[in-house]
Amino acid sequence: MQLFVQQVVLGLLIGGVYVAVAIGFSLVWGILNIVNLAHGALVIVGAYLTWLLFARARIDPFAALPIVAVALFAFGYALQRALINRVIRAPLFFTLLLTFGVNLMIVNALLVVFKSDFRSVTPSYSGSGFGVAGVQVPYIRLAALGVAVAVAAGVGGLLNRTRTGAAIQAVGADREAARLVGIDLRHVYALTFAVAAACAGVAGGLISTIQAITPTAGEPYTLQAFVVVVLGGLGRVGATVVGGLVFGLVETLGQTMVPGLGAGWANAIAFAILVLVLIVRPQGLMGRVA
Amino acid sequence: MMGGTTRFTGVVSLAAVLVLACGGAAGGGTAATTTGEDLVIGAPMSLTGSQSKEGALARQGYDMWLQWINQQGGINVKGVKHRVQLKYEDDTSKADISAQLAQKLITEEKAQFLLGPYGSATTASDAVVAEKNSIPMVEGNGAAQAIFNQGYKYVFGVLSPANVYLSGVLDMAATLRPKPATVAMLAADDNFSQEVAKAVVDYAPSKGFQVVYSDKYPNGSTNLSGLVANAKARNPDIVLNSGHLQEAIAIHKAAKDLKLDAKLSAYSVGPSTPDFIVALGKDANYVFDGSQWTPQVKSTASFYLSSQDYVAAYKKQFNTQDDPDYHVAESTAACLALQKAIENAGSLKPDKVRDALAALNVSTFFGQIRFDSRGINTFKPMVVEQIQDGKHHTVWPANVADATPQYPTPSWSGR
Repeated sequence: MQLFVQQVVLGLLIGGVYVAVAIGFSLVWGILNIVNLAHGALVIVGAYLTWLLFARARIDPFAALPIVAVALFAFGYALQRALINRVIRAPLFFTLLLTFGVNLMIVNALLVVFKSDFRSVTPSYSGSGFGVAGVQVPYIRLAALGVAVAVAAGVGGLLNRTRTGAAIQAVGADREAARLVGIDLRHVYALTFAVAAACAGVAGGLISTIQAITPTAGEPYTLQAFVVVVLGGLGRVGATVVGGLVFGLVETLGQTMVPGLGAGWANAIAFAILVLVLIVRPQGLMGRVA
Repeated sequence: MMGGTTRFTGVVSLAAVLVLACGGAAGGGTAATTTGEDLVIGAPMSLTGSQSKEGALARQGYDMWLQWINQQGGINVKGVKHRVQLKYEDDTSKADISAQLAQKLITEEKAQFLLGPYGSATTASDAVVAEKNSIPMVEGNGAAQAIFNQGYKYVFGVLSPANVYLSGVLDMAATLRPKPATVAMLAADDNFSQEVAKAVVDYAPSKGFQVVYSDKYPNGSTNLSGLVANAKARNPDIVLNSGHLQEAIAIHKAAKDLKLDAKLSAYSVGPSTPDFIVALGKDANYVFDGSQWTPQVKSTASFYLSSQDYVAAYKKQFNTQDDPDYHVAESTAACLALQKAIENAGSLKPDKVRDALAALNVSTFFGQIRFDSRGINTFKPMVVEQIQDGKHHTVWPANVADATPQYPTPSWSGR
């Protein structure tokens, strides 16, 4: 029982990281209709920035998150205006091709700058935590979950409570109508992408504290973000939160709780659930019916 | 006119060299050398992808030999020196791509010999290509016995096979007091890691250990805390991992998160690299690993450099304070085996070099290089390293050790 509770806690904690990764991915997909294959690379850019600030300036990784977010926001805005905007109305295949290319460029730029050395942010409190009845809760992972939920709430608030958010949602709903009422489409596109990149940067900062990073470590996160968004349902921040936590739980429990099945089956179980959700609830666990 | 003059001068000087060479050979009786065509050697390598760090280390090992051999004027084949061109292709750490690139190196780049890629999975798929084309491949980074159990004739591995990677750790553990009793084994699902794990599970009982937990996870996983929680629930004295650097770091971080206080932790791949210490800081202390080679290994090198000179040359060439880890050394050793076999064969013909490789028995800084009938080096022992105060020390076997094992590992809360 104690082990089961521990596994559930671990699953929810890692789920928080998946939430943080998937929020930006979901935003770009939902509003711009782009499946951003460079999302994982943006996550790792955030991770390296956090590491740089920690290793060179001794800035605490959690204190570094706002700096990383601002930097990635600017980078995302420029990237969208300069490059991605050019294929914004092109068929899906072109956007996939372009974001895949951007992914390769970022990854290889990171390889040139940081080489393929493994880096990790290990502050003095790394690995410390508290125990309740034998169940360990590491502070860093708990804080990561907290940050992820805060980011989700922030993005949700931005979308639902502000004029900018209303403009973003309007563009997502009907870009022609949005243009007709005077919304500057290019600015809103770039803004959306910038917010997504900032979220990715924060996710990267969290990841740098819980695993080792390399320039290529972002690729699995693109896939995980995709699964989380499909699982939760596109178009709502709350859906992404549910999707991320469910995916984290399923992955961790699947790894360890099914007797006789090794962890090798964790992915199979996670994807089986994804297929099941697609059959039973094609709009995702929390998605709106289209 | 200028071109004609240059060509004429070239012919004259070539003739002069030939005359001198013949004269020298006839007169002095010493083997004077001439320079032949460049020798092209191909190597698919994990320059990007999940094993890019290990790939970069392997490449350093190849480049060290490359610089050295070309400073010597090249490989000496019956008095003709062939400078070496080493052609890399980035296999992105993927086995199928590695095999395609191995074929490309042979057919398009005209590679006469192959050096191995990094990792057992890529090596296994490149081995098929080498065998099919009858091109000798010498590798230093694929230790899975599955590569060598296929009856291949053209594939040679200079390193100790996977099944002995962690057996040294168990041998050592059996001598420690208080003697550890239980073992938990976490292994990646690639062929190399599985062979390491199977060997541990088979070997542990003979040393008086009980394997209380054994599970596998997908290669490259970063979320391993669930498995570590499972292992912790069995309260093992020894925690072993056979996997790769990324996973070793993930497991070690999770062990600290979950307060898994093992008396001894040993990981097959990872702790020997400088990155492990950089990424984990002082948490890296007390961790053991089975190592193909350490700078402390004493062996008499019949050619190339001694261990001591090798370390110095590495630091100079790559402008670093780090010692070369075993990935670097085993890669250089692969080059040395190929070089010696070509020299022994006195030929660049693939089948002659293949036979010379099969008969090879040389002593190098890396240890003895000699292949069994399958083509893997079962004649060189492994050593055990431990990270002590942020530095690598060789702790087993005792006759090469430069430090005694620090045991038992203090609990996470107590350090």
